[in-house]
Amino acid sequence: MKKMLPKIAASLAVCSILAGASVAADVIKIGVQAPITGSYASEGQSIDNGVKLIVEQYNAKGGILGKKIEVVTCDDQGTAQQAAICAKKLVNEGVKAVIGSYTSGATEAAQTTYFRAGVLQTSDGTSDSLIAHKYWTFFRNSFPNSAEADFTAKYFVDGKQYKKIVVLSDYSSYSTDLGDATIKALKAKNANIVYEGKIKSGTQNFTATLTKIKAMEPDVIYFSGYYTDGGLLRAQQQQLGIKADFVGGDSNDNPDFMKLAGESAKGTFMINVPTPDILPYDIAKTFLVDYKAKYNAMPASIWSLMNVDGLRAILHAMEQTKSEDTKVVAEAMHKLKDFPGITGPVTFREDGERIGGGYMTYEVQADKSYKIVYQ
Amino acid sequence: MDIFLQQMVNGLTIGSLYALVALGYTMVYGVMRLINFAHGDLVAFSAFVGLSVYGSLFSEGTTSLLAVVSVFLLSALVVAFVGVLLERLAYRPLRTAPRLSAVVSALGAGLVIQNSVMLIWGPNMKIFPTDFFPSTLWSVGGIVITFTQVMILSLSSVLMVGLYFFINQTKIGTAIRAVAIDQDAAKLMGINVNRIVMIIFIIGSALGAVAGLFIGAYYRGITFDMGWMYGLNAFVAAIMGGIGNIPGAMLGGLLLGLFNAMITGYISTQWAETFTFVLLIVILVFRPTGILGEKVAEKV
Repeated sequence: MKKMLPKIAASLAVCSILAGASVAADVIKIGVQAPITGSYASEGQSIDNGVKLIVEQYNAKGGILGKKIEVVTCDDQGTAQQAAICAKKLVNEGVKAVIGSYTSGATEAAQTTYFRAGVLQTSDGTSDSLIAHKYWTFFRNSFPNSAEADFTAKYFVDGKQYKKIVVLSDYSSYSTDLGDATIKALKAKNANIVYEGKIKSGTQNFTATLTKIKAMEPDVIYFSGYYTDGGLLRAQQQQLGIKADFVGGDSNDNPDFMKLAGESAKGTFMINVPTPDILPYDIAKTFLVDYKAKYNAMPASIWSLMNVDGLRAILHAMEQTKSEDTKVVAEAMHKLKDFPGITGPVTFREDGERIGGGYMTYEVQADKSYKIVYQ
Repeated sequence: MDIFLQQMVNGLTIGSLYALVALGYTMVYGVMRLINFAHGDLVAFSAFVGLSVYGSLFSEGTTSLLAVVSVFLLSALVVAFVGVLLERLAYRPLRTAPRLSAVVSALGAGLVIQNSVMLIWGPNMKIFPTDFFPSTLWSVGGIVITFTQVMILSLSSVLMVGLYFFINQTKIGTAIRAVAIDQDAAKLMGINVNRIVMIIFIIGSALGAVAGLFIGAYYRGITFDMGWMYGLNAFVAAIMGGIGNIPGAMLGGLLLGLFNAMITGYISTQWAETFTFVLLIVILVFRPTGILGEKVAEKV
């Protein structure tokens, strides 16, 4: 009898492991790696909310491949250090795919871990380095800086036919990257750039640079930096009586830009992907109604919807292939063509880049609302 | 030529702001031989106080003389009070202590003010009401000058000239100069040194407060940590002009603003700060006590 006990114990243990395994196999786990706290908390929470809403809708219809979907969220606080910890945690949890993160830095820090574990990842980070590794697990659900630059060049040369263009950036890596890409795209179209310059972000006084620009009598001043400097640039441009149009890159698109620029905000042009409320697609309208009903708020920005599209593409590929093998799913995702997304058609290139752009130019109206003028 | 004159206007505007802040540094240094590193943070504090005063007394979009006067007076009052408190708590107990202790205390006080501003008003940029001053602007020839710039240039010159006469012509001014020369002898002559120091802090902080409000009105975006940048520039201006010397601080501020605008306008943004500090070194090499500095080097 004494010999029996360990055997019983062992068989019980095996049973429980099997039971555990069978329970685990009944769900498909999806990870969310996003900044739930910290500077970008509103964006991170919005990503988490969007993912949970889609998962809820899937589960209400019986889940996917006959299994329920479970969401595991990890807060990376928008930092690389925390992102690396999250990556290990989510891999250990056995997730099939990870949605996020919001910032390029946090996404990059986790990328390799997911690649080694064969976990799919989709993020809205716009930095070009994210696709440099060509990991088969990575899918960018937003568009890179170079796509925005191409649109800007097309708008300036074909749309507006500007003759004298000024390009301003600040010293941040994002702004420099976007500014350089825009200059390159403009030069490829033989545009006449009269001045390429940099301002020092946060110095507030840009009158000296602008006075220098005034002498060149440009048609347009393009700024690739953030709204905190963009709003002031616009205000000071108006004060100095420089007649040129002012066009801001996507990071100028913020309510604070309007406050900083004051009356001179009117007539400013912004280049960005559409804001959630003006997305023309039916699928987007339904999603926003559902989102508002559940959370009583709008998503923080277009970026959360981009991430939701990443998730939807992954789930769609799983259903299509009837497989939860990430290798098979990734292959199907690379073959997706114009999958109807909330933020427009979704198509991925072989290196995980989302093809397309869907950029638009808005003109700020007197009441600070946007009017689409070019797309 | 238009461009040159426009750069002059740009430079003089920012230079007047530097000069107002530099006066606070130089007056405290002149009397107490102390670099008041918390001064820049008082400037930032003032902008936030002004924002709250305007927000609580007037409805959004009010542009009136009453609004301007009350915001300036109330903010200057609050900031002057905090300045006096600063002296009481952080500097007076250390007046006979080694100079290094007082400097460390000043740095600490600056951090306390900066972080208090962050806790009260939050870490995000706040927007100063855009219609605090009328948005009128004039073009003279090819030069454009705004109402806010006219206000900055005129009010700061009135304040600076007023201060100059206050220090040189009045009884209290004479007492301030006496304390600056020798505290012990001044005490023997029946001057209440503590009172003089208090007056210095009131005037210095109030001038800083005016600068802070102008920064808010001119640039609109205010952040809790902006005091550092303005403080550093004003400190350089004070040293250039000769620290401890009141006309020197004014001259230093205007010179720094002009120099910065010209370098940015004719060379590049990247080089503006490099050239500023090269200018500072050149001035100090040839005139170790600054442009208008008195020979006080041996006392330090």
